[in-house]
Amino acid sequence: MEKNPYRLCEEVLRRLRDAGVLDGLVVIGSWCVLFYEAYFQSRDYAPTIRTRDLDLAVPIPPRFPQNVDVTSLLKELGFVIDFRGSEGYIRFLHPDLILEFLVPERGRPASKPFDIPALGINAQPLRYLDLLLAHIVTVTFRGIEVHLPHPANFSLHKLIVAGRRHSEKADRDRDQAILVMGALSDHGEEEQLRQAYAGLPGKWQRAVRNGLHDRAEADLLTILKR
Amino acid sequence: MVSFSASRMVTCRATDMSIKGVLREELANSLRMQKRYEAELAKLRKGSLVKRRIKGNVYYYLVYRENGKVRSEYRGKSSPDEIAAYKAAKSQRAKYRQLLSKVKKQIRFLRGALRGKEPV
Repeated sequence: MEKNPYRLCEEVLRRLRDAGVLDGLVVIGSWCVLFYEAYFQSRDYAPTIRTRDLDLAVPIPPRFPQNVDVTSLLKELGFVIDFRGSEGYIRFLHPDLILEFLVPERGRPASKPFDIPALGINAQPLRYLDLLLAHIVTVTFRGIEVHLPHPANFSLHKLIVAGRRHSEKADRDRDQAILVMGALSDHGEEEQLRQAYAGLPGKWQRAVRNGLHDRAEADLLTILKR
Repeated sequence: MVSFSASRMVTCRATDMSIKGVLREELANSLRMQKRYEAELAKLRKGSLVKRRIKGNVYYYLVYRENGKVRSEYRGKSSPDEIAAYKAAKSQRAKYRQLLSKVKKQIRFLRGALRGKEPV
């Protein structure tokens, strides 16, 4: 992996921790696949692909002990602020990293960003995020405690969203889901995977099965059916 | 024994299509980034405040480039706030220029990769 995104990611997390707000955030998205190295601690677990996007989820209601000007904090590291789409979702851009904040979307689809005054930013509401936030694990990355979705929830979520995408991203989502599911099996956590799967609505279970079926992942399908 | 994960490493590698998709997405991001850095640079205070000692007194001049020429504008005894603001702008400009140069290199690389040629 390139050194720069890794170092910058570490610096962003460190600054958020030092400002006292990292505890109220959960890292989601592709970077989780990398952070799970610390969770699985296995030489066989080898993440292959990752983007610059670092997505941070904010559980609702947001809980931060104090107000922090995240924009100033990131500007010091060379990030520029960007407002995405007509809705104006905030993104922080840097050649090595793109930072976005997300919140679970509940009820009717939201057409506007979710304001987080404690951080001076807004976040994009997204479907299915509650699944990621339902079971959180904490890993230590270079001395920083980082909250992540449990790998079972992460992989199931990836398969569900992949089924709704019609882009190359769907392939990448499935790749990551299968990699993490395989690692869960190696790690002796098939039961956790089964339980997380059993807790999903029927339609979501179908999406998971379809995703595995498309990739002819018979072993993983068997684990879920056991 | 080959473990479950290891046996999947080959199948889990992204396909060519997936990699192209990633590259296209990264190119769009980098182009947007270039615009944002250029906009931020344009917003910064122009020029540098330089100190000149004339007959034992300290005076400040704003030095900047205009139409390819270096201009020097007398500012007199600038306030500490103004001096700090110009210093901060200078440092931020250097940082943004460095990052903008990096973004431009990324754009060249990504365009080259998407054309299927060796990046320049």
